[in-house]
Amino acid sequence: MEIPTFLARVEDYHKAGWRLALINATTLLPGEGMEQGAFDIVWAFARGAEFEYIRERVMPGDEVPSVSKSFGAAFLYENEIRELFGINVTGLGLDLGGQLYKTATRIPFSPSAVRARLEALGRAEPAVKHDPAAKNA
Amino acid sequence: MKRTVIPMGPQHPVLPEPLVLDLILEDERVIDAIPTIGYVHRGLEMMVERVEYTEMGFVVERICGICSFMHGMGYCVSLESIMNVEVPERARWLRLIWAEISRIQSHLLWLGLGADAFGFENLFMHCWRMREEILDIFEKTTGGRIIHSVNRIGGVKRDISDSELAAILVKLQDLGTAFRETARIFGNDPSIAHRLGGVGVLSADDARAVDAVGPMARASGIATDTRLNGAHFYDHVEFEPLVETAGDCLARVVVRMREIDQSIDLVRQAIEKMPKGEGQALETKVRGVPDGEVFTRLEQPRGEVLYYVKANGTKNLERFRARTPTFANIPAMIKLVKGCDLADVPNIILTIDPCISCTER
Amino acid sequence: MANPFRMPMVPRALRNLVSRPATRRYPSEIRPRFDGARGTIEFDVDTCVFCMLCARRCPAAAITVSREDRYFAIEQLTCIACGVCVEVCNKDSLSMSVNSRPVHTHAEVGPDGRRPGHEEWTKPLPVAPVVTPVATPTVGTPPAQGAQAG
Repeated sequence: MEIPTFLARVEDYHKAGWRLALINATTLLPGEGMEQGAFDIVWAFARGAEFEYIRERVMPGDEVPSVSKSFGAAFLYENEIRELFGINVTGLGLDLGGQLYKTATRIPFSPSAVRARLEALGRAEPAVKHDPAAKNA
Repeated sequence: MKRTVIPMGPQHPVLPEPLVLDLILEDERVIDAIPTIGYVHRGLEMMVERVEYTEMGFVVERICGICSFMHGMGYCVSLESIMNVEVPERARWLRLIWAEISRIQSHLLWLGLGADAFGFENLFMHCWRMREEILDIFEKTTGGRIIHSVNRIGGVKRDISDSELAAILVKLQDLGTAFRETARIFGNDPSIAHRLGGVGVLSADDARAVDAVGPMARASGIATDTRLNGAHFYDHVEFEPLVETAGDCLARVVVRMREIDQSIDLVRQAIEKMPKGEGQALETKVRGVPDGEVFTRLEQPRGEVLYYVKANGTKNLERFRARTPTFANIPAMIKLVKGCDLADVPNIILTIDPCISCTER
Repeated sequence: MANPFRMPMVPRALRNLVSRPATRRYPSEIRPRFDGARGTIEFDVDTCVFCMLCARRCPAAAITVSREDRYFAIEQLTCIACGVCVEVCNKDSLSMSVNSRPVHTHAEVGPDGRRPGHEEWTKPLPVAPVVTPVATPTVGTPPAQGAQAG
């Protein structure tokens, strides 16, 4: 992902009075083009009834910048995606040092961990079929 | 000056759910607070791998006991949106009625806890006694006091007859009248004014900077309410977001008290406007598997809840994420705790209406 | 600054003092449950045909059904009282009682791995009625032994 363009877009949202509503990561299982799996990260912004989001596909290990300079409240979301997904978030506003949740598995949503669990349940085909534009309800 | 560190939590008499704040104090003033959560993290979002989409609703409504109805409703609404299911009209009205009654019960619970936070146990018991009326309504109509299990993808499972609705409205209006006495106590009691007035002031600019939602934002003068988006039949009823400008803990108490009256009025409007008669369809049969993704926003008692559901054409969802309002308000809490007196810390923690179970899922 | 001599809780407190308590003296006074309250799942083995729909639809996987062995088991402590099994059963074998009865008599897992709250039923196959043959008169007499054939 293009870090400076991304941060500029986020700052534009902040200047226009949008509120950060969500930073969410989805694990994508290893498949063609992504041998280690990947993550789909969504930054969702809300302003009254309006709702928009930025979606980026990120490979494991790729640097994902923190948006704390624009939205100070982002630290909780970013600590969570770092801790549960293993996403390399840099420049965290408040770093909770991996102590946010106390999970039995260290990075429960990493592509390999998800794949292992799905194989144990008998369902391990790569799950990504298409990328529809998300609807707003 | 010497600094002391006082760890507060995870068990503490004023906390409804476990939360740790390491308070760094100089004398009695809090300089910094380091939060730690994770004591009730149950990994409910991971359950989508094991539980099929038809059954996930039951898991989602058990994320939290206080906000249970809206979680179930939000999940079902998200799946209905992905699968393009048309929900019968009576079911949508019933969901609105149950959601507003759920809001009344949540605010009464919070008012009790808020009073308990500064030691007013008599008022705490008084608020919870009123709350029992609401829980009885839930048990009569849904079968459960806290976990209702009436939401299904495609509608609701149980009906409330028109005569029962009329009886419920009478009960709620009696509750509203009885609540006026409680509101007078909260408004006029000098000890409450002393403990809550001017404490934890969040200005409108600060509220925007920390992305506060719900009564936290409304008490600081920002007129935001997710119900204004008009989804889920809220465009069929009339209401205004209740805004206070003082931004302190007392203003948040006032906002939540006024919301109780507003919810009773919304239930009255819904009962008037909904189609009358027996035998109406309550549920649309849903077949097939979901494929697609959706963002759903609802107004829970604590603020805006955001559900992100991603389905991939199989019986198991790929991702379910519930971003609850407390998750969004925790940065506001941390900001308010810095610089306050030690005795005000419980009041400030409770003023965001923390639902840590919702936050940690 | 509010008037420090106002005590708006006092009338309420005095009224509480002279009125009956808001709490019940449980267990001597038990509030009856409302109709439609969720309680324990009850099973009628006589009507069950072991179609296994309830086991497939149970969200908590509390029901085990075996068609070949004509066996039904429910883990009452795993049951979340959602009522889906009652909804899907075509033979009305399952019902939800309004009350919750005590479902476990011991707190530990039994020696055969049975968990507390485990309840099971087996429905034996109906036994075919035994038909006693009635003696019938023979038609004609068999040929005498040693008679020449042909």
